[in-house]
Amino acid sequence: MRKGLRKRNLVGYGFIAPALIFYAVFFGFPVVFSLLVSTRRWNMLVPFEEARFYGFRHFEYLLKNELFMRALLNTCLYAIITVFVTISLSLIFATLINKSKFSVLWRFLYFTPIVTPPVAIGTIWNYLYKPNNGVFNHILGSVGIDPVYWLTDPNTVLFAVMITAIWGGIGSSMLIFTAGIQNIPQAYYDAAKIDGAGPFRQFWNITIPMLKPTILFLTATGMIGAWQVFDLPFIMGKNAPAKSIMTVSGYVYESAFQSMRMGRASAGAFILFIVIFIVTIFILRAFRKGGMSGYED
Amino acid sequence: MKTDITGIPERRKKRNIKKTILTIIKYIVVITGAICMVLPFFWLISSSLMTSQELMADTPRWFPEVPQWNNYVEVPKRVPILKYYKNSLITAGIATLLVLITSSLSGYAFAKIKFKGRKFVFRFVLSTMMFPVFIFLIPNYYLMKQLGWLTNYMSLIIPFAVSGYGIFLIRQFVMSIPDELLDSARIDGAGEMRIYMKIVLPILKPAMATLATLTFIGLWNSFLWPLIITSSVQDLMTLPVGVSRLSVAFSTSENQHLILAGLVYQVVPMVILFLYLQKNYIKGFVLSGFGNL
Repeated sequence: MRKGLRKRNLVGYGFIAPALIFYAVFFGFPVVFSLLVSTRRWNMLVPFEEARFYGFRHFEYLLKNELFMRALLNTCLYAIITVFVTISLSLIFATLINKSKFSVLWRFLYFTPIVTPPVAIGTIWNYLYKPNNGVFNHILGSVGIDPVYWLTDPNTVLFAVMITAIWGGIGSSMLIFTAGIQNIPQAYYDAAKIDGAGPFRQFWNITIPMLKPTILFLTATGMIGAWQVFDLPFIMGKNAPAKSIMTVSGYVYESAFQSMRMGRASAGAFILFIVIFIVTIFILRAFRKGGMSGYED
Repeated sequence: MKTDITGIPERRKKRNIKKTILTIIKYIVVITGAICMVLPFFWLISSSLMTSQELMADTPRWFPEVPQWNNYVEVPKRVPILKYYKNSLITAGIATLLVLITSSLSGYAFAKIKFKGRKFVFRFVLSTMMFPVFIFLIPNYYLMKQLGWLTNYMSLIIPFAVSGYGIFLIRQFVMSIPDELLDSARIDGAGEMRIYMKIVLPILKPAMATLATLTFIGLWNSFLWPLIITSSVQDLMTLPVGVSRLSVAFSTSENQHLILAGLVYQVVPMVILFLYLQKNYIKGFVLSGFGNL
């Protein structure tokens, strides 16, 4: 029996060996190395060993730096609003199209942005948002609203990018909700109908409670993703004042690959990690209080 | 109970009217939403067929006067869009294959082989997903540089060979395979590798198809890492990076319409492929237990 156990351990670790080796090289090493870099002044042009030790002064600098703090605030707003709106809208639309006529057509139309890279989405929307001859201002103009400088006005640029992000993100959440909805036993709805519950009550009392795990999954992964948003602001924010659209990831990218300040960039990345860690724990807690268990078993 | 001449109780009739109104509202909402989703794509395709004058006109147009199909011929002449395709296909394709292999091996082990410490290791795998990619950019770039991979495909493939998400997805799916099935094979003397190849992999097909599609789309669309890697090596440029540079390649106003034609090259083939795969894609999601996460 002992021997059998040892063999089982060996086989188990054999199966996960490729993943473990990968994590050692592309996860373990980077995390440690990144921590080391964050305490150095280094531009990657000299060997790392020659980089000057800098203590925690990068972290101190960032937490006092106006642009970085503004980036944190922008990213926070972006994450909360886009995730909340995307999940709400996609849950509503997934429910609506689930039992509609032509559901295959609707799905195709709603899901298409999934396969469109954010780079392309951002470029298309740059044109739609154009102040003089863009489609949106043209439509607004036809109902008598003055042109909006969507992507150059510091007050609107972040929201303009959020609208684009929501448009691009609805499809994948809807897809996952659709799968979830199709797994809810029809008998629940039949029983509710017999009891005289209308579509709204059914949505509120059956669909939402049954989809709680899916909502948790989408909120957690959505937040983790949204806090790291890079592509859309990078493509769409080129003509706006840096402060109004700077995100944490944009700040890290610019520090690292444009100013070659690897230390400062690594420190920024770690601050981002701490934020994401806290947010994720907070979401998991909130859902657990609402009667949701974890995924472990 | 009051009934009118049709013989239908009034209450039920009222309910029917309410139901009809709700259905109408529902379709209005669904159609409005669908129009919002399609409009940017419609605009892209229509505008990619315009002349630059039409595109830059003071009032935006919805249709070109005469469709300029030549725009699509012009783009590959000026930017190596076919090379971008090749690079994207090779890197995303091979990385997806590697993800399928590593995810199914690990997913199976985490779900069905009761080795010591598996819970701990699995939690570790889950927690890696919380780390922002930005922590890895600098070290991995440095690593690629030291390995001499900056000038070849390895730098765009190997860092994506394992996916925590993929391991999680496959594990969830394997959990639903009954133990009895595997145990009876074990009693017949089959080793774990044989069970994995002969029993588990065939059952995993739908989940693997879903994972493959998800991974491939994710990699096909990925931007940041290829942007960093290919900034110095243009030969490796992938489609999204190439597309993001269209506005540099066609910066003058008489070339603006070619940016849009280039975007069509990026967007349309994937949309058609997706249209074709859509049904399987959704079924895969339902089957792979995404609904009961």
